[in-house]
Amino acid sequence: MPKVRDNWGSRLGIIMAVAGSAIGLGNFLRFPAKVASNGGGAFMIPYLCALFLLGIPLMWVEWTLGRFGGGFGHGTAPGIFHSIRRKNRFIKYFGIIGIFGPLIIFIYYTFIESWTLAYSFFALTGKYSQLADQSQMKSFLLGFQGVERNQYFSGLSQAYLFFLITFVLNIWVIYYGIKGGIERLCKWAMPLLFFCGLILMLRVLTLGTPDPSRPTWNIYNGFGFLWNPDFAALKSAKVWMEAAGQIFFTLSVGIGVILTYASYLSKGDDVVLSGLTASATNEFAEVIIGGSIVIPAAFVFFGPQDIQSIARSGTFNLGFVTMPLILNKLPWAAFLGFLWFFLLFLAGITSSVSLAQPAVAFLEDEFNIARKKAVGILALAAFILCQPAIFFLKNGVVDELDFWGGTFFLVVFAAIETILFGWVLGMENAWDEIHKGADMRIPGVYKFIIKYITPLFLFFILGMWLKQEWIPIIFMHNVPSADRPFIFGTRIGIIIMFLILAILVKIAWAGRKKVPGGVR
Amino acid sequence: MSLAGWVLLVISWGLILGITGFCFAKVLSKKELK
Repeated sequence: MPKVRDNWGSRLGIIMAVAGSAIGLGNFLRFPAKVASNGGGAFMIPYLCALFLLGIPLMWVEWTLGRFGGGFGHGTAPGIFHSIRRKNRFIKYFGIIGIFGPLIIFIYYTFIESWTLAYSFFALTGKYSQLADQSQMKSFLLGFQGVERNQYFSGLSQAYLFFLITFVLNIWVIYYGIKGGIERLCKWAMPLLFFCGLILMLRVLTLGTPDPSRPTWNIYNGFGFLWNPDFAALKSAKVWMEAAGQIFFTLSVGIGVILTYASYLSKGDDVVLSGLTASATNEFAEVIIGGSIVIPAAFVFFGPQDIQSIARSGTFNLGFVTMPLILNKLPWAAFLGFLWFFLLFLAGITSSVSLAQPAVAFLEDEFNIARKKAVGILALAAFILCQPAIFFLKNGVVDELDFWGGTFFLVVFAAIETILFGWVLGMENAWDEIHKGADMRIPGVYKFIIKYITPLFLFFILGMWLKQEWIPIIFMHNVPSADRPFIFGTRIGIIIMFLILAILVKIAWAGRKKVPGGVR
Repeated sequence: MSLAGWVLLVISWGLILGITGFCFAKVLSKKELK
């Protein structure tokens, strides 16, 4: 008897789940830092170009491919790709990246997400409320992460406790399935996330001029710092690349997660309007809320001199060092600090549950394993795999995992998807497939964009990365020699994971051939 | 903030608010999942 697959309970449910997957820490930390460092308001020109030429087309491609594969009972890329060209024996192996990538990201993202839960607790209990400058707050963060032992933390025990809580919460949500777990979480977490974000945004907008002796350190100039354009920056290819990269990562395309989520739709369910709505929700969170909190607030409290270095100090510094220092200076500091970190936690958990789902769907769909057992297998494997990210953070293991799972393979996978969609499935078939059950028509120009512009854009990004970063990254030029064994070990681990998944795909299809009429 | 900064902010926010509002209005008025 064919197995009945899980499904979404409502349309708003899947839109919130995809938007939740896309909205992560990067919306509130990475985006404003990129704008500030790449031409200010002028950055929005390449950013919006990339949104319409790369992000939204890829979103439609993934929603459509996911729904298409789901119709054949496949919820992950190997099966979905196989459904496109069933006679080709190798096509399914390209899909391994769609399970491997999210799993790699999950094993370090859960740890980072747990920091936001811990800091929410620290904010409420006043654990960092006495810290007054960047160096103290930085030291607090490094102590918490276990990078150094100091007066604030003597080891990793607190970080590990919050990791365990976060990990169990993730597994608990996934255990209850698509409708009962992920959809239920996203339907309350997303409105709450927007509520927290809008309160913080309102607080920043009403900061005025907190220090009258420094009248230029005001919120008006804070927004000016972020939005005043430097049009000369547009002549730099790097700025266009940064904008394309930001769009790519913010929408969670190229990971494999949207394929899996969309596979739980029925054939006649709209993907055009739903995909566009999920993208627009993400952009609202990023440009309107994310762009109105950290950088304008940092300008008001640290002034025009320090803001440049703060904007370039990296995502974690902005989120865990600069922002708590700012909020500490305001009335209701504990409450505002809690809101900030809880906002990040909600952004994190709605993303991490989506990262775990492809692996669960793979075990369910391709091995016919019951959901609860599949979740148990994932939990055990992911828990073991998380340990190096936790204990060897200071040795660069998380950065290495992020490069391969969260950066390089995303672009490779998106390029594969667009080629399969526009060229293997064929643009005419693909166009018909997109519009099945659609509530709106996509402008015809997108046929040309999806077939030519989006893949070219992706190959260009990939080519530029290979040209600029391939050699130093592969040969670990920027890695301290003491950390090289850890990076090497991480790479071996990644290769082993990839091979195990390839073997599992082979076994799944070999098993299916033995069942009469079993090759789907 | 300069005039150019304002123009870029208003265009960006306007575009995103417009698309988001349009999408949600349409989603809420259309059919549910099958």
